[in-house]
Amino acid sequence: MGRGHHLIPATVRSIIGMFDRENKRGINFSEFAGVWKYITDWQGVFRTYDRDGSGAIDKNELKQALTGFGYRLSDQFYDILIRKFDRQGRTQVAFDDFIQCCIVLQRLTDAFRRYDTDQDGWIQLSYEQYLSMVFSVV
Amino acid sequence: MFVATVPPMNVVKAKNRLKRQAGSIERKKPHPGSDVPRTIMAGYYGQQGYPGSAGQAPGGPQGGYYGGHYGGGTPQGNSFGGSAPGGPYGGPQQPGGGSYGHATPGGPAPGAPGGPYGGQAPGGPYGAPSTNPYGAPQPGQYGQGTPCGNIPQGVDPEAFSWFQSVDTDRSGYITVKELKQALVNSNWSTFNDEACQMMINMFDKTKTGRIDIFGFAALWRFIQQWRTLFQQYDRDRSGTISAGELHQALSQMGYNLSPQFTQILMVRYCTQSANPTIQLDRFIQICTQLQTMTDAFREKDSAMAGNIRISYEDFLIMTTSRLL
Repeated sequence: MGRGHHLIPATVRSIIGMFDRENKRGINFSEFAGVWKYITDWQGVFRTYDRDGSGAIDKNELKQALTGFGYRLSDQFYDILIRKFDRQGRTQVAFDDFIQCCIVLQRLTDAFRRYDTDQDGWIQLSYEQYLSMVFSVV
Repeated sequence: MFVATVPPMNVVKAKNRLKRQAGSIERKKPHPGSDVPRTIMAGYYGQQGYPGSAGQAPGGPQGGYYGGHYGGGTPQGNSFGGSAPGGPYGGPQQPGGGSYGHATPGGPAPGAPGGPYGGQAPGGPYGAPSTNPYGAPQPGQYGQGTPCGNIPQGVDPEAFSWFQSVDTDRSGYITVKELKQALVNSNWSTFNDEACQMMINMFDKTKTGRIDIFGFAALWRFIQQWRTLFQQYDRDRSGTISAGELHQALSQMGYNLSPQFTQILMVRYCTQSANPTIQLDRFIQICTQLQTMTDAFREKDSAMAGNIRISYEDFLIMTTSRLL
């Protein structure tokens, strides 16, 4: 893909999971076209925020991207995201880490939303509920 | 660049299924300037604007599913009893010093019954189990490549020979790809990619995406301990762990979780099959990730009530920071 850049396993698994309709842990050709479109959409977004075209985005660019998507998160949280999704130790997030970061964030947000029935931004969880939430999302 | 032809109908259906699945709400053009793929835009947090907002919220819902805190009896006293769970995220009662705690695999049984968090998982990446003759490797040794000739001090000879056979470019470091050739399950299948990436993340203290002989030696010890536990819980000697055996293993490690939860783990970690089974790589992934997420919950559950009340950002921070 592009300059011989291959996606990290976790990202591949997440994307295939989305498009694999028969839970066969793989995709057929028609599903592949969907995956391809999905990835090219992501590349479009990524280029918007990768100002210097370095193929990686730093904390501020990541913050702009996620704020653009509607997230309102603290600066401390962006430090955690960079530390967690930066695999090359350059405190930057490469393209595939960026997709994985956004997928994980969206899934965690959806999981939180399912519990936050009164939409006040707070939820009450038992130990097993928390684990079930996390392990069915991540 | 691949010119996206008009996607056939069923691809558009896949996209809609994806939107429904991702639960995002249809919005007008999100905002000028950036063509944000619909599927990742969830209007949800934009309008409410609550994620991250610190407004005081009314008390959470009471009653209903609390029952016994952890299904078992109420936690007694130090309900986090049992030998300190190992792994890089050892619980707060971690023994002092730099080590990440060193629960001995054959160590005392996990915490008192009903203890929710106990677990005699093997020691952390650098913690040396007390039975280990080599003792804890001296700090400060990591990071430098070493000549491949002699066996560095404190390194298991078998680990060393595996390291050499895999470090094909003689760089003194091995990457995820090389690691994959060194780690095999009992059915000789190689560890899956995610497990290898997890191991590198856990044992690569230099954050360079590769590990040196000392990191690998610590990883090797860590895996041998898990292999022993794996064999202990593979009751029928099938070489794999079934759902039932996993459930038993988790309860013996001190976790107090329902069979339904074990099922969630099987769905998440096993490939689709009539009776899914787990190899060593998945077993290590499950136990290690379960331990770090348990630590995340425990950190919020100061009253040890088995229940927490968290905000949206609390939830994001506690979870993403502990992803392996």
